[in-house]
Amino acid sequence: MLYFEKRQSVPQHFKIIIPIISLLIGLAIGAISVAIAGINPIDVYGGILSNAFGSWYAFSETLVAATPLILITAGLIVVFKMNIWNIGAYGQYIMGAIFSSYFALFASNGLSKPMMICVMVISSMVGGAIWALIPTLLKIFWEVNEVITTLLLNYIALYILKFLMYGPWKNPASYGFPLSKTFPQTAILPVLFKDTRLTIGIIFALISVFIVWFLIKKSKFGYEIRVIGDNPLAARYAGISVNRDIIIGMAISGALAGLAGMTEVSGIVHYLQVKIGADYGYTAIIVAWIAYLDPLVTILASILFGGLASGGYSLQITMRVSYGIVGLIESITLFSLVGAQIFLNYKLRWKNGSP
Amino acid sequence: MAEIVLETKNITKMFPETIANKNISFNLKKGEIHALLGENGAGKTTLMNMLYGIYMPTNGDIFINGEKVTIKSPLDAIKLGIGMIHQHFMLVETLTVLENIILGLKEYGFIINKKAVKEKLREIENLYGLKVDSDIKVWQTTVGEQQRVEIIKVLFRGANILILDEPTAVLTPQETQGLFKILKRMKDDGKSIVFITHKLEEVMQIADTITVLRKGEVVKTLLKNETTKSELAKLMVGKTTLRDFQKNKKETNEVILNIENLTVYSDKGTKSLKSINLQVKKGEILGIAGISGNGQKELVQTIAGLKKVAKGKIIFNGLNITNKHPRFISRLGINYIPADRLAMGVAPNLSSIDNAIMRRYYRFPLSKKGLMNYKKAFAYTRMMTKAYKIKLDNPFAPIKLLSGGNMQKLILAREILENPKLLIASYPTRGLDIASTQFFRQKLIEIANKGKAVILASEDLDEILSLSDRIAVMYEGSIVGILEAEKADKNTIGLMMTGAKA
Repeated sequence: MLYFEKRQSVPQHFKIIIPIISLLIGLAIGAISVAIAGINPIDVYGGILSNAFGSWYAFSETLVAATPLILITAGLIVVFKMNIWNIGAYGQYIMGAIFSSYFALFASNGLSKPMMICVMVISSMVGGAIWALIPTLLKIFWEVNEVITTLLLNYIALYILKFLMYGPWKNPASYGFPLSKTFPQTAILPVLFKDTRLTIGIIFALISVFIVWFLIKKSKFGYEIRVIGDNPLAARYAGISVNRDIIIGMAISGALAGLAGMTEVSGIVHYLQVKIGADYGYTAIIVAWIAYLDPLVTILASILFGGLASGGYSLQITMRVSYGIVGLIESITLFSLVGAQIFLNYKLRWKNGSP
Repeated sequence: MAEIVLETKNITKMFPETIANKNISFNLKKGEIHALLGENGAGKTTLMNMLYGIYMPTNGDIFINGEKVTIKSPLDAIKLGIGMIHQHFMLVETLTVLENIILGLKEYGFIINKKAVKEKLREIENLYGLKVDSDIKVWQTTVGEQQRVEIIKVLFRGANILILDEPTAVLTPQETQGLFKILKRMKDDGKSIVFITHKLEEVMQIADTITVLRKGEVVKTLLKNETTKSELAKLMVGKTTLRDFQKNKKETNEVILNIENLTVYSDKGTKSLKSINLQVKKGEILGIAGISGNGQKELVQTIAGLKKVAKGKIIFNGLNITNKHPRFISRLGINYIPADRLAMGVAPNLSSIDNAIMRRYYRFPLSKKGLMNYKKAFAYTRMMTKAYKIKLDNPFAPIKLLSGGNMQKLILAREILENPKLLIASYPTRGLDIASTQFFRQKLIEIANKGKAVILASEDLDEILSLSDRIAVMYEGSIVGILEAEKADKNTIGLMMTGAKA
């Protein structure tokens, strides 16, 4: 009979081997599904690979998609480590975009580019943090479950964005499309390399990851969130101000999601619109798990997901396969990556005979 | 010679860091009460968990009625007629007693056939004298009753082999005698009982056969009639012998802690403490006795700042500490050893280092300007494990891998090293071997002898009686009375624990 047995301790190399094997299994199942759809899986995978990593430009596009993922995931790690489930990065991302867009659209007069970028970075972080603090305060004062409130606030953020885009912030010259005016040059993030869309946003992302890594590994706050995450009662017993730490953590988490929103509108889109890639807010939740809540692994995992997204996206143009196929592969690999995590804590054993 | 119903042959259980059981062989006969005696950490519970299918043995075989079996889950164990009564009850409080008893059984229908269940319950009651009201909800019952429900539960499933893990820990002396009567009747009916304990008195009173375990191995199996308490103690401990404590009578009349009209509500909104008045003097050990769930835990946690005070005052050294932050209170010199180490005392998945520094991680030299110094933390942990003889192979491994006793020693050391002015110790020696128990009891006395104070809340009456200067007995959130330890005896305290005034 086959059964699961709990591992007493997790061997370190398992943390690398298990995701690699499960990724391969996921890709294999994906290949079968693609073949059933009548497409040569080698072409599809080859296409994704070359569109994601095949050239300098392709790779820069992968990094463009990885930038917001890294930022959001770095923030989520801080709260996930405390077992606080912020599902609201989607909304915090939108609020960051809205807050920073306000300055780009209506308050850019007389500000130099560095000043303008500073203002937009700070305002996006404030916007994201405010949006994250609403559910946090509800949780602390009335014990409202943050999973529900952060999720619901996503919709509210989306409708605020829609309201602005169809109403007061709409560009009169947009022929009825829900867009704002284009940002002034001073409000656009500089690109790092010519002929790519990779902006200094990726540097913000790397700095954020480093700060989060430093916080978790080296700071007193990092020690406290480990204790809170493992046993909140022990944390209170040890005299840790649990609520204060949760507020700080959620503020960081929201601020980084907000900053991600800013890097997207200011770096890539250059105006505000309804579709600004807020789905990164959900993908980042998975990235955080795949990366075992480790800030440095986050960079790798984000590039992997960024590659899947950008490679797959180009695929529908170059190979004319529907993006649904890419979505399918993405979901299957995700499923196997997440599913295989059970083998980290359990081992499969075979035992003969039954009583 | 009675038949053997259960036999283990050379059972070994290895965990990554330790061998919990080594070549254990023992026999359980039909109609006997077999005590498994050993200090905590001796491997009793591990052995029983293997019989009950919670762990699988690394090596060795289990035989039931002469047949070799593999027990992979509690369900297998139940099918084989093995029933386990855990130390912590596994009951659903919001369901009735009857619903708890048939929980998981399919035979009684989607709509419960209460008549059939009650008939069977009456049979069990008549056979063994196990009586409970099956229509009330479990939360309305006393701890003693809950234990009876657990026993009925396993009998209901047709168990012939009952394993009781430290069953008397939560009972009053009177309830313990009641339990023993029931066990004897079950034995006379041909049931076999494994009785896990570390209390010698109980073994001498109830057991027929005694298997002594030490450090994961069987030391000896003996018949009760052919042994004595002191022989058993020697077998259990190895060389160390029991000794009495020297208390300097240095009690002063200076009050260190003054509690006035303290009222605290539970999470459910009921009063868990009702207008408590209590004073602790410098140089004394104040014992707090009571059946668990009568407010002792709430009282000590409130002093430590972990529960909100609704009414009343707590004054420490002339300073009002009512509803102050736990950190503020601990910095004033009040330290607290919680009763349930896994629930509150440690963060189980964090390393032993992280747990060892829990009380001082925020102070220099362990941290400076918001940054941690983990090298100093490591050194501090080393110092602690050396000074307090804590066995710690890998300080970076999760603390949950330590044996219960070692974990408890680390918690005790952590709190004592803070040099408290008032140490609140809830069941401090739970899970410790005799040598460590003696060591830490001596520490508590030293603290009191230095003119500081100790509050000792324990379910172990012997411990309270041997250490305390005064004993406060709690019942339903009130203090029933305070006795001078010299004039107190177990019987009086036992009666007071059920609400009788002194």
